[in-house]
Amino acid sequence: MALPLAQEIIFGLVIGSYIALGAIGFTLVYGLVNMINFAHGEFVTIGAYVGFLSIQIAGLPLPVALVVTFFGTAVIGWAIARVTFEPMNDAGAVPLLLMSIGLGLVLRNLIRLVAGAGGRDVQVGVATYRFEDLGFFVTSQQLFIVGVTLLVVLVLHLFLSRTMLGIAMRATAGNEDLALVSGIDTRRVRNVVWLAAAGLAGVAGILLAVAQEASATVGFGQLLLMITAAILGGAGSPYGAVAGSYLLGIGIAVSVAFLPAGVTAFGSTMAFVVLILVLLVRPGGLVNAEVRTT
Amino acid sequence: MHGNDPHSDRRTRTNRRTFLKLTGTGALATAGLAGCVGTEDGDGGDGGDGGDGGSDGGDGGTATPTEDESMDGEDGGATETPTGPDSVLVGQPAAVTGQWDFLQPAVSQSADLAVQEINDAGGPLDADLELKRRDTAVDPQQAREVVRQFVNNDGAVAINGLFSSEITPLWDFLQEQSMPVVTPWPGTRFLDTRGGDKGTAGDTGDDEWVWRTVIGDTVHTAGAAQAMVDNDFMTMGVFNGTGAGETGYADAFVDAYENLGGTVAQRVEVPEGESSYQSQLDRLFDADFDAWVLALALEDATTAIQNWSQGGYGRQLMMEDGLMSPDLIDAVGEAAEGAWIAAGSTQGPNYGSFESKFNEAGDADIHTWGVASYDATNVLALAIHRAGETSPEAIEQNVGPVAREGGTTVSTFAEGKEALDNGEEINYEGAVTNVDFTQHGNVWGDVAVSQVTPDGFEEQFSIGADTLQENIEQY
Amino acid sequence: MKFEDLPVDATRAGAVLLVLAVAFLFSPLFVRPPAATLVLFEVGVLFLLYALVLVGLNLQFGHTGLVNFGPVAFFAVGGYVAAIVTANDPYGAVGLGLPWPVGLAAGVVVAVVLGALIGASTLRLRDDFLAIVTLAVAEIVHGLIVTVRDVTGGSNGLQNVPRPIAATTGGGGAGELFATVLVFGALAVLFYGLFHRLSASPYGRVLRAIRADEQVTETLGKRVFRYKFVVFVYGAAVAGLAGALLVFYNGAAAPGFFTINVTVIVWIGMLIGGAGNDRGVLGGLAIIMGFQLATRFLNEQLPVITPDQFASVRLMLIGLLLMVIIKYRPEGIWGDADELGVES
Repeated sequence: MALPLAQEIIFGLVIGSYIALGAIGFTLVYGLVNMINFAHGEFVTIGAYVGFLSIQIAGLPLPVALVVTFFGTAVIGWAIARVTFEPMNDAGAVPLLLMSIGLGLVLRNLIRLVAGAGGRDVQVGVATYRFEDLGFFVTSQQLFIVGVTLLVVLVLHLFLSRTMLGIAMRATAGNEDLALVSGIDTRRVRNVVWLAAAGLAGVAGILLAVAQEASATVGFGQLLLMITAAILGGAGSPYGAVAGSYLLGIGIAVSVAFLPAGVTAFGSTMAFVVLILVLLVRPGGLVNAEVRTT
Repeated sequence: MHGNDPHSDRRTRTNRRTFLKLTGTGALATAGLAGCVGTEDGDGGDGGDGGDGGSDGGDGGTATPTEDESMDGEDGGATETPTGPDSVLVGQPAAVTGQWDFLQPAVSQSADLAVQEINDAGGPLDADLELKRRDTAVDPQQAREVVRQFVNNDGAVAINGLFSSEITPLWDFLQEQSMPVVTPWPGTRFLDTRGGDKGTAGDTGDDEWVWRTVIGDTVHTAGAAQAMVDNDFMTMGVFNGTGAGETGYADAFVDAYENLGGTVAQRVEVPEGESSYQSQLDRLFDADFDAWVLALALEDATTAIQNWSQGGYGRQLMMEDGLMSPDLIDAVGEAAEGAWIAAGSTQGPNYGSFESKFNEAGDADIHTWGVASYDATNVLALAIHRAGETSPEAIEQNVGPVAREGGTTVSTFAEGKEALDNGEEINYEGAVTNVDFTQHGNVWGDVAVSQVTPDGFEEQFSIGADTLQENIEQY
Repeated sequence: MKFEDLPVDATRAGAVLLVLAVAFLFSPLFVRPPAATLVLFEVGVLFLLYALVLVGLNLQFGHTGLVNFGPVAFFAVGGYVAAIVTANDPYGAVGLGLPWPVGLAAGVVVAVVLGALIGASTLRLRDDFLAIVTLAVAEIVHGLIVTVRDVTGGSNGLQNVPRPIAATTGGGGAGELFATVLVFGALAVLFYGLFHRLSASPYGRVLRAIRADEQVTETLGKRVFRYKFVVFVYGAAVAGLAGALLVFYNGAAAPGFFTINVTVIVWIGMLIGGAGNDRGVLGGLAIIMGFQLATRFLNEQLPVITPDQFASVRLMLIGLLLMVIIKYRPEGIWGDADELGVES
């Protein structure tokens, strides 16, 4: 007996996993630094190239390359943020956002300048497992991607709930001033946030490089989806971002399956329609964060 | 100020050239800065505008008669033409950045190779052929400014480039420039009935100025459709992106295939740059068909082919011609093994000799448009030489005659120049096709169907242009 | 620098100029600028159209603080509606073939309706969320243009759109360019004047109060939402107008005319010039568009780097410029730091 929607849900989980890894970082930065980072897609791109270098050039196996990419991208992203965003931390949401747009332009074109216009393929062997009776298949690559994402979410959960630093982060996200007077080193917290956000974006990058390729715009192409997922989940909430990402991924996969054939190309654009609807109906997203002015 | 010594050595000549270039620029500035105010009496209003602007720039960009005498002198005094320019400039609008930037290197390399050969052979009208490349990012607004700059500031005498998505929105503008555009890029069916000299080479009144040296979508999709029908694939799925090239290809394919009696069971259009095309493929393969056609840009096509292979959907795959690239083999040579690709490319009469020169000239990956760029550059240079002067109108009148059937067959500028100088008519045979322009400025070619193997493309069979012509009314 | 210091009121000057420009169009007079300057006129046409978009955007962001990241959506809607209404048998698209004034009106009206819909539903969001919504709207508009290609012509766009100016001057040449710059310039001055009048009036003071502190303004009895709504719709209208003009100038609409680059250029121009300074933002736009033009001429002077690399470098420089402005001079060149509420 074929399970209805099983195949679509698998595809949706895969799409959602790429988005989730980016969206977690995006939403952490939003919650703790209070900025919408339009250069977040470039952190993903950096991860894709670090991944390419470690797999195709250094010849590392994928799991090792994944760890290398996480730490490599974390440090690069943190360093970039230190130079650009950290000095103007108090400037307010809009100037920080504009800054990130400028930074995104610079990074995207710098990467293109250094790495060239063409994309780089990252080759990894893939096995397919079929379940004919149940009417779906799944590949080792898909399992790996979803598995890595779930592992990341688990580790993040443990970090946020069990470590002093994680608790400090949540406190800072709740109220930075209060956190400051309670003796939390908010500067240190921000450092950790940038490291984590860039590192996770890097993981998304290497996974995209494997599935697609490493190119100068690979992350930028995912940016609006990540932002949508983060808002869908409630900006600032990492758990919400994960839930939002999977909802979005499954939504895209299902809409591609059931939209009229003439407008299948509209599938991803549907995500933005969803975004606007969410902001209209429940602007706080799944966790009801505050995004209205008054 | 200029010595007329015909035996001046190369160094002083170079110096003088540089100097003349500078004064040439000066002349351009003076000529170019002369505006015009008046009333629209009689014929003043309409077409005169564009013509004026164009020829102002053109005159300024070419050099003074003094220089030409010394040129002729040095070249041995075959002074049939009393006045000729020192250098001739052709503008090349290019996709240096933007979505299609990965295609530009081969086109640039081919064009530069052709220019090198042309100048080694003495150049058109014994002048230096200069090719100036400017980035349009395949953005029609930028393309408009770039063409304007070529025409009015650089003093270009012809244009060697422009994509489908630049030509269609700028159609009126390009017509009004009255300047020949010979381009290796566009496949669009928009040009099937537009462009060329309408078969009247001597009369530019009905000309539509745009010529392409690449085979149009109509032709190779007809070939692809014919190949499918010949092999009894009577129902098909169509999977295409939303870009100009992809939709154009898919539309043309569907028309040709249905025209031959085939049925398209399902068509799925997909956005560019997705991380996975798995769900879109699943949608496609829900339908029942024998084979499917894929029209996507290279990067997305490799993603889709991997997804297809991993999903185990099977069925014969036919790919659009643009995917015939070594990069495809590198990325998905194994996954796509057995897939077909129908391309009008690389089967021109002189592809063999071109390919070896191309590979020596640089390391760009060769593709159809890159080869067509070699033809476009050569055709322009020959047209300039046959024109005997450098006005855009005269060049336009000679694009057809140097390339169409009749006269001595030539495959390089050097051969063509020699034949022309001997008073013969010539027929340029290109690297990608035989470049026999139709009345609408299009070229025919055989369509070859190749199969993907892990090591490259292996040609299986080909479908002659004459077979295809039977089913294509206007081209 | 205050515009009031000048002897002429811009609205009146614009109106007079417009009358003169139209009179010039129908007179037997013509002016053909020198060939070498035509590329400047070409960029000038675009500058004037972007300037129209910018005066609306500056009212939205510079004066009221609305972060609209989707001006191109209204620009595109105005352009495409005008093209669909007027195009005569376009290739693979829908064209109604109506006269151009109908198309112009339709383009503006539909842009206004879209602006009203989006404004009514999203203007209560925080600044940065409004930014994302408007960006998403621009993406949706772009997605629709590319997807519904039986109507829009997809990537090919729509051709055979009437060109009213070319119809009187003859197309393609110097005469048309000059007349176009004259007409568009008059319109730009006119709308600059109208929007400037608005922002200099007591109405404008309310807008700046909203920018500074919405809640306080609300408690003062001003209906903040209504002000924001009106400003948003004004901006949409003028962007729609600019889009329609672009289409009537080119005789075609295509996705390539309405990319996200329009938003980027207009925003960067506004930030360089100094958001909120009506004249400053136009100066900023001139700087950024002049920079783009200059670099196109500059490329060949720098043989060290290939054109390919140069194109990347150029975009990097624009990004860097934006970063430097935001960091070291957030009020822009001519802006007022206190009024914008930024520290420089």
